[in-house]
Amino acid sequence: MSMFLSNKQERFLPYLLIAPTVAVLFTLSIYPLFYAIKTSFQTGDDLHFSLGNFTRLFSDGFFFSALAHTFVFASLALTLEFLIGLSLALLLDSKLRGKNVFRALLLVPMMLPPVVVGVIWRLMFNSDFGAINGTLKSFGFDTTNLTWLASSKLAFLSIIVVDVWQWTPFVFLILLAGLQAIPNEPYEAALIDGSSPWQTFKNITLPLLKPAILIALLLRTMDLLRVFDSIFILTEGGPGNATETISLYIYRTAFRFGDFGYATAMSFVLLILTNIISAMYIRFLQKQEKA
Amino acid sequence: MSKFLSVLLILSLVFLSACNRGGSGEKVITIAVVSGVEGDALTQAAKDYEAQTGIKIKIAQFPYQSLFEKELIDLQSKTGAYDLVMMDDPWFPKFASLSNALTELTPLYQKKGLQGHDEDFVKTSLALCRHPYESGKLFALPYVGNSQLFFYRKDIFEKYNLKSPETWDDVLSAAKTISEKETMKGYVMRAASGNSAVADFMPIFWAYGAEMFDANGNPTINSGEGIAALKMMLELGKYSPSGYASFGADEVSNHLLQGTAAMSINWPAWISAFSDASKSKVIGKMEFTTMPGAKNQGKAEIGNWLIAIPQSAQNKDAAFDFLLWATDKQQMKLSATRGNPPTRTSLFKDEELLKKNPAYPVQLKSLETSRPRPRTPQWNEIENVFGIYLSKANSGELSAEDAMNKANEEVKKIVERGK
Repeated sequence: MSMFLSNKQERFLPYLLIAPTVAVLFTLSIYPLFYAIKTSFQTGDDLHFSLGNFTRLFSDGFFFSALAHTFVFASLALTLEFLIGLSLALLLDSKLRGKNVFRALLLVPMMLPPVVVGVIWRLMFNSDFGAINGTLKSFGFDTTNLTWLASSKLAFLSIIVVDVWQWTPFVFLILLAGLQAIPNEPYEAALIDGSSPWQTFKNITLPLLKPAILIALLLRTMDLLRVFDSIFILTEGGPGNATETISLYIYRTAFRFGDFGYATAMSFVLLILTNIISAMYIRFLQKQEKA
Repeated sequence: MSKFLSVLLILSLVFLSACNRGGSGEKVITIAVVSGVEGDALTQAAKDYEAQTGIKIKIAQFPYQSLFEKELIDLQSKTGAYDLVMMDDPWFPKFASLSNALTELTPLYQKKGLQGHDEDFVKTSLALCRHPYESGKLFALPYVGNSQLFFYRKDIFEKYNLKSPETWDDVLSAAKTISEKETMKGYVMRAASGNSAVADFMPIFWAYGAEMFDANGNPTINSGEGIAALKMMLELGKYSPSGYASFGADEVSNHLLQGTAAMSINWPAWISAFSDASKSKVIGKMEFTTMPGAKNQGKAEIGNWLIAIPQSAQNKDAAFDFLLWATDKQQMKLSATRGNPPTRTSLFKDEELLKKNPAYPVQLKSLETSRPRPRTPQWNEIENVFGIYLSKANSGELSAEDAMNKANEEVKKIVERGK
């Protein structure tokens, strides 16, 4: 390279080469980020600068309940997705007949757009004409009180069921890949040493699978904290605000009430919380790698 | 480096704005319309107009919610993307109170040597187009004249010798009788949070003499009358299909069409579905009447579609020409044959239209006596909060008193913030 370029030019070359990327990053991420910071400090119709949006957060009951809904939803869905995903991965990693068919079928929910999933489940949850109550009724169950999307507790359960149905395959896929990457030797050694299946799982599979588990949990946590589309279609946050997550509340504030300042202020809180949680995961992951 | 960046930015901006303009000097009117029957009628009219005059019209059609978002952003940041915007009437106070967002129509009339709008428009519809309500300047014209009606099963009412419901007590006792004696539910309503619950509650709220705000704009939702009205709604809920706390308009209409419920509040747009054999199991059995009352005479909620010209529109004069043409008697009659209730008194009495729409006299009566949702730019926010607490009361989470007290408290916060 130095055959064609002078020393000075050579020093400049890397900057030139990354310039297009920087330009794209600047226009699409960095500038909007700073613009959003500015917006989050603007209040009122005249958009004057104040801390109003952030102080309002502390006295806004809807914000706190949305935050609580988000975290309860995320932790319950994450636990279920992880447990079911891990079981499925262990099951389909063994020498099961027809496992390729199962693997392919398991991926179907993940391939559907969340909006479509929302519409399908909304129809199935319908308490009068829906498939779920219809099936239960045909088995002789009394479904009069099973108003899935209309009572707060059942509605919350419903949105968890739908998320678990759609995203367990994703956890399963990552864990399966992790399982298949574990070499055979430790298992053979364990077998010779006479270890029980549970001991093998606890002392070999789980530790070696940890990186895959952490990645699956990290990706799912970030997605769960900003969940929007399926809930929007299923309940629109109702009944009351029983299933209103923080993303839904932000959306409502920005696009229905036209209050972009307050909405961006809330987005920042969500961004900071997501960052803290992700950082904890990543730290944990790095510790594991070092150990 | 920064020079390079700024050149790149400027170039991309120039390129983008060049894409935005039509290029040639040809006049193009862009209209933002809603998807569904209301927007389809205007789209059809635009095509006819194009064929007649040679003026090109571009239609931007969006679903209800995103239409509001697009229009709000266009009007707030004055992008000039649309020459005409179609809007649901509760959005109007918000749009009209933005500074310099909508074009006042009277000067445009005067420019054409006209006095102003003609007197054929229904008064309650035209009042929606003024800011402030009824008394202010004219910023829009009404295009579709919806107002709620009360739907009930004529055959069932005759079977049990029930008279056409005039008060909410009549409705309740009829609902009770029907629920007890038939396999169907006596009543069906929608109480999903947001617009649904509020729309089905307002006629009861008003009938009981409750008001959302006092003369100074302070919320009075939790008055004795208001709580009594919510108690009536909860009573009616006992005779409504289970799960109604999550119902929207579709579920309500489905119950009526399937013959699984006997009464409801609904909008005229659904009337035609009842005589469509592919959808309806109750052909010829549905009757439509004006809203029942209580302490006060019954009043329906009005829900009109209005058309306005943004201040940032690029072809105001051409847009105004089209607006006048589309809302004149002849065109609105065509729109009525496409399924939209008109906003002109003469069309509700038109012989031809009456043959196809036997409910028109009732619709006109309902429209003329209808009430708008409170005219405040914060209505979306207020409706959302009010809807949440109504929905909570209907799903059994809160008592009527608690729901109304909390709704009042939250609405108060919103109002204070707007001051």
